[in-house]
Amino acid sequence: MSGQPIAVGGATSATLGQVKRRSVREREQKGQWWRFALILVITAIVIVPIFVVFLLSVQPGQGSTQTGFTFENFERVFTGTDVLLWLGNSLLVAVVTVVVAVAIAAPAGYVLSRLRNRLVSGYSLVLFIVQALPVVTAAIPLFITFSVLGLINTLPGVAIVYIGSTMSVAIWMMAAYFDSIPISLEEAAWMDGASVFGGFRRIVLRNSLPGILSTAIFSFLLAWNDYLIALLFLQDSTKYTLPIGLNTFFQQNAADWGSVMAVAVVMMLPPVLLFVFLNRYFSVGGIGGSLAGR
Amino acid sequence: MSTDTLPERLQKARRGVAPGGRGPQPRSKRPSSPLGRAGLTLTLFALPSLILLVLLNVFPVVYSLLQSLQNGTPSTLPTDAPFVGLQNYVDVLTSDQFRASAIFTLIFTITGVFGSWAIGLGLALLLRTRIPGGGVFKVLLLLPWIVPVVVSATSWNWLVATPQSPIPTILGNFGLGDANFLGDPVLAQVVVCVFKVWISFPFMMMMMSSALASVDTNVYEAAKMDGATGWQAFTGVTLPIISRTTYISWVLMTIFCVNDFPTIFLLTQGGPVGATSSLIVLAYQFAFQNLQTGPATAIAFLMTAVLVIISTVLYQQIKKVNIE
Repeated sequence: MSGQPIAVGGATSATLGQVKRRSVREREQKGQWWRFALILVITAIVIVPIFVVFLLSVQPGQGSTQTGFTFENFERVFTGTDVLLWLGNSLLVAVVTVVVAVAIAAPAGYVLSRLRNRLVSGYSLVLFIVQALPVVTAAIPLFITFSVLGLINTLPGVAIVYIGSTMSVAIWMMAAYFDSIPISLEEAAWMDGASVFGGFRRIVLRNSLPGILSTAIFSFLLAWNDYLIALLFLQDSTKYTLPIGLNTFFQQNAADWGSVMAVAVVMMLPPVLLFVFLNRYFSVGGIGGSLAGR
Repeated sequence: MSTDTLPERLQKARRGVAPGGRGPQPRSKRPSSPLGRAGLTLTLFALPSLILLVLLNVFPVVYSLLQSLQNGTPSTLPTDAPFVGLQNYVDVLTSDQFRASAIFTLIFTITGVFGSWAIGLGLALLLRTRIPGGGVFKVLLLLPWIVPVVVSATSWNWLVATPQSPIPTILGNFGLGDANFLGDPVLAQVVVCVFKVWISFPFMMMMMSSALASVDTNVYEAAKMDGATGWQAFTGVTLPIISRTTYISWVLMTIFCVNDFPTIFLLTQGGPVGATSSLIVLAYQFAFQNLQTGPATAIAFLMTAVLVIISTVLYQQIKKVNIE
């Protein structure tokens, strides 16, 4: 159907797969150093706002006896605030979102990838429209419904909303990855008597780790970074996830930048570590790569 | 595989072969693709996602359509709220606040889309050439997209929020005066747009890099042989090849910008005096600060309508390109 020549499959076509360290030996081109200087300057400017977060978090605060490099901000926020609790809440919500979203999106993506009929392409269109809907449209009705159901101010409540908002893109991403797995593999399994479910589980899923990881990372980041739903749904500070915890802490301690940035480091470390170790599976924009591929 | 015992198989054989038998048993089903026959399995595959989609996406949209025709609050059920017909839409569309907000949303979206695209494409072209440590730069340049927006908004607040912040101080040293970036309506709009471009260019860079990866460098050699300048090669060769991805990324970024709540809200909360209230921030303020869900959902619905049209057109367009 797609006919687009894609190296690794849709879901990962916009990933960092091609990132390779290039050898520093290539001096033959003169323009290279001019470009090197240009990109060095641009990169330096671009990462200033990220660099200052780390910098301020390890600098002593006002009235501190310490000078230079210090971890006192971290000690203070770990002992004096709920930041570890927020970290736990965020991890719990994000992990639940990832597990449920992938478990539901993978089989649905398989249907989208292998069946080509009116019903399926209609479903695909609906999914695509859904990912374009503004979150507030859903947030207000869900807020009322969840109040009735007693899900306001609970972590399962926000996890459910995240699963709903990641679902459409997750299905698209899984489908785009399955497109890259030749159907002949399943046909061989069917010839050997495997059922459709068996072929999906033993052949397709087993070969889809990169696609699953991409989808999982996308869902994780959506749950990890969300601010609006957490702001509306979580009211007790013991229930906060990190985005809302950090923002509340920032508004209450605007002068104490060291502590604020220490909390900020705690919040950005998991995504940055994921990115450093699994950057091959980062699909920038989720649906972007899938769309380019399908 | 038959699991029948030997006597049973003999009996079957006899039935088939003997006169008056029903002929051989039909061979076990072995169609070339069982997908067509596994309707139940495939329905079960798609069903959980369908249920979630209906409960968490379709139902709220229908619900908020109803709310936009009523005067409710975030805590009233639709059965208790007074029905006002299209009054909310009339009020919203005729208000100055909505017009200002729509104009800012347009500015924010246009700068967000084309600003990040121009920078992202420029960097993608630059990174495609041989640069020492190119891979490291590529990773570092993606960080604005990876770092949570709450963190980067906090950091940008430190950089620009008050006249004593580093960036106003540095600019002040160049004789640009004490700029109160987030206190002045126009400057606040500029800061929010720059912030959005800063967050978004890595997305464009990745999209454009993957599109450029499919351009054969021999094409440039050929263009150069024909006497094309660098710019001519860019507009005549590069742009047409990356046009499909460019188109997709523009429309996606439009959706991202129009729907972007935290980027604006965390930096300015829509202020000063509503200068940076995009439509989504305005809808939030109506619903959760003024407690008027009617106008809020009306605004959200107008946005939704525009976005649904954009994404449907995009979808059809992509299908068309795929078939060609």
